[in-house]
Amino acid sequence: MHEIARVTLENEMDLILAHRRSMRLGEVAGLSLAAQTSFATAVSEVARNTIEHGKSGCLVLQVEVESRDTYIVACINDEQLEDDYNRQGLSYAKRLVDKYNVTTKGAETSIELFYSVSPAFKIDIHKLDEWRQLFRNEPPVSAYDEIKRKNEQLQELSEKLKKSEAQYKTLTGSLPLIIFSIDTEGQLLYANEWLTRLTGFTADGLNTSGWKAIVYEEDYPSFSLLLKSNIRQGATTVKTQTRIRHKVGNDYLWHQVSLSPLTDDKGALLYWIGYIVDIHAQKVVEETLKDNAELKQTQEELKRNQQTLEQYIEELNRSNHELQQFAFVASHDLQEPVRKLLFYSDFLMSRYASAIDKKGLDYLNSMQAAAQRMRNLIHDLLTFSQINREEVRFKEVDLNKIVADACQDFEMVIEEKGATLHIATLPTVWSDERMMRQLFENIISNSLKYSKPSEKPVIDISCEVKDKTIELRFSDNGIGFNQNYLPQMFTLFQRLHTRENFEGTGMGLAICNKIVEMHGGKIWAEGKEGEGAIFYVSLPLKAAGN
Amino acid sequence: MTAKNILLADDDPEDKSIIQDAMETLHSADVMRFADNGQHAWELLEQYCAKDFVPCLIVLDLNMPKMNGAQTLAKIKDDSRFKNIPVIIYSTSINPLEKERCLSLGAHAYFTKPVSFKESVETAKKFLAFCERESLAQE
Repeated sequence: MHEIARVTLENEMDLILAHRRSMRLGEVAGLSLAAQTSFATAVSEVARNTIEHGKSGCLVLQVEVESRDTYIVACINDEQLEDDYNRQGLSYAKRLVDKYNVTTKGAETSIELFYSVSPAFKIDIHKLDEWRQLFRNEPPVSAYDEIKRKNEQLQELSEKLKKSEAQYKTLTGSLPLIIFSIDTEGQLLYANEWLTRLTGFTADGLNTSGWKAIVYEEDYPSFSLLLKSNIRQGATTVKTQTRIRHKVGNDYLWHQVSLSPLTDDKGALLYWIGYIVDIHAQKVVEETLKDNAELKQTQEELKRNQQTLEQYIEELNRSNHELQQFAFVASHDLQEPVRKLLFYSDFLMSRYASAIDKKGLDYLNSMQAAAQRMRNLIHDLLTFSQINREEVRFKEVDLNKIVADACQDFEMVIEEKGATLHIATLPTVWSDERMMRQLFENIISNSLKYSKPSEKPVIDISCEVKDKTIELRFSDNGIGFNQNYLPQMFTLFQRLHTRENFEGTGMGLAICNKIVEMHGGKIWAEGKEGEGAIFYVSLPLKAAGN
Repeated sequence: MTAKNILLADDDPEDKSIIQDAMETLHSADVMRFADNGQHAWELLEQYCAKDFVPCLIVLDLNMPKMNGAQTLAKIKDDSRFKNIPVIIYSTSINPLEKERCLSLGAHAYFTKPVSFKESVETAKKFLAFCERESLAQE
């Protein structure tokens, strides 16, 4: 069945329209004028009945194309039970048409009147469309017809709108975000279900309690500014991010708030529509990424610093190595001429003393003493330059043997000065034997050297094992030193005493310091002028990593 | 045949004359034979060998041009003709590591050069003592 046109049946005017349209359908379907009249009359009879007795009646003009027969059909629908009204018009109408049909469905009655079309008259889809177009565009037969048509269109539109609104409501209701409209005063006009599901507030409830009830305290000022100021100033779309309280668990979750102005045709602001959507996960990811980025940046900075540091260390090592090489070469090559100076001055004194006068011999003596000092300096400088990491050869070293060797070396001085040495039993230390010997020699030699002329030197060497280190203690009854000079005592070429009083190059303790440093230990001293000195050396029992 | 000759290789003429002076003091002026460097010493050794006599002692300075003391020492100790001749390293250097290295290469002793006339005579005496010992061992 193909619908062609429709006429609502409400009053007499509609009856005329129904008659006219039926005639016209008959005409276009190629019926004779008599046939047209018969069909139209039949329709009019039934329609009159509906108008007089029925409810919400409607005529639908249709075309039925069956395999052999083709009919034009008028279907009169009525929301009234067939039995409820007089059917005398119907019995007349039945006789005017080729076929009729009465069906009831619930409270609805449908009467179909069939009028056969000549088989020679071909009706196809294009023709049906053409007819529909024809009926739609037919000029209104009367002012009433015109109004009625407009009315029908409006009705249709309104129904569509209702349907569409219902659809949108369902849609917005089921969306997991808050959709709302708000007036320029910030009062909610509408909000979808999600507002209540998320916050527990209805639109009215929120208007009463205010947004403060659901917006995180810290975020409220900017949110409030948006609501109070921005939307009043009529800005375009405004957006902000704020934390909104979830009714479940009362957690504040990050949301994006977006508001867009809704204006009329002339651009005047009507109200604002907006949405609030959960961006908590995104925010968490963002924060994490930001943290990661910061971490990465810090790491990179550290790496850069490390590289710079490594560069410095490399440079320092190189420069250190160069200096060491220089010290070695210089001191080695300087030994040669100094030795010659010593030899020839001695040769002169031993073989030609009788040929030189007293002043000449004095000067020769001074020359020899100067050459000797220089030789000592070169010797110490060479020793100092040879104390470096590459030269350290660690092994178990018995300090008792070291101290015995040192005493043997100083045998003559000890005897000469009448010195007494008290030596405790010492442990075995993981160290470089040669350097240990140097260390002990230098400290003992210091004590012997800086003794009081009035007193015989007494030197005590003891040892204490502390956790993983040993602490060696060398105390004497010598001239001591002013504690103020302690910091420079262990640096190169620092002399506390004039050369006239005490021989020395000023390198002995610097050498000690370097040796102890190479062993990962510490050296320090205590003293008072005129009251002796105590030197401490602490060394790890086993070197790091061993 | 071992001659009572001491071969001293040193590029420093003064050091050579110091030892010569000391030897003269000890009435052994004809004992010393001198080379200017390691290579020269090697050449002399080859010549001595051809004439079938070798020195009783070889004394090598360390720091020399062409072939230094350590290289010469190694070469001597690697040659069956000369490896039994005692070698003394004679240097200004007091570096104990240097001494260790030379002894490990097969040197019999490591002498530091004298700083006094008395020391130079002592050194010359020790050289001669080495020679005497060598001669005794030969006989």
